[in-house]
Amino acid sequence: MNNIRAIVLIAVLTLLLASLAMAAPRLTIPVKEFNFGYVPQNSTISHKFWLVSTGDDTLKILKVIPG
Amino acid sequence: MLKDVLAVGDSTELEIIFSSKKYRTKITKRPKIQTNEGPPDKFVSITVNVVTRPDSTYPLIMRPYKIDLSQLGSKVIDKMSFEIRNVSDEDLKIKLISYASDYFEVDLPKSIKAGETRKAKVKLRKEVLKKSFDKSFTIELSDEVQSRFTIPVKRKLAKTVRASSKPAGK
Repeated sequence: MNNIRAIVLIAVLTLLLASLAMAAPRLTIPVKEFNFGYVPQNSTISHKFWLVSTGDDTLKILKVIPG
Repeated sequence: MLKDVLAVGDSTELEIIFSSKKYRTKITKRPKIQTNEGPPDKFVSITVNVVTRPDSTYPLIMRPYKIDLSQLGSKVIDKMSFEIRNVSDEDLKIKLISYASDYFEVDLPKSIKAGETRKAKVKLRKEVLKKSFDKSFTIELSDEVQSRFTIPVKRKLAKTVRASSKPAGK
């Protein structure tokens, strides 16, 4: 009986560790493109994009590099 | 960006700012976003059609084509009207598709007939009256190519205006 309990416990722990090891952050950008259309010269314009964390671990945004 | 660490299911906004400078063509920029997700990096993409003669665009002409709500004196400047002229031969619907909603409201006509001139208005939110900023709004038309126009909205405050906003004793 004790042997069976130990085997079940080990199996559960193995599954837990495996799922933790597979947890990964994931960035989803629902709308990735924006067209401003006509814009006058010497102007500063802006637009906001939504960034969503859709993985199963915390997402860290490290850097945004201008295109 | 409001947050750079997002819990599972959380979200944030990333603001992309573009200066049209002396460009004179269609431009696409692809800012890259690096995260702890690892490669490949993700991108957003913006397209801008910089016009050298904003007073002769088609199918609309905006007057003025830039909204400047700068305040140099004590008189509060919190709104500005502008004109939209439909220079095409078709009636157009106008849709506001992007604007800095935490900074201002845009009051636009929903449609404009061929050859017609309509008034529109930008009104600042009272929370931003003590701020200097460069923002914009974008409209889309119902013409065949769904033309878009982006109108810059700028506010600069004189030093004396900013100073008067500080609490007494500071």
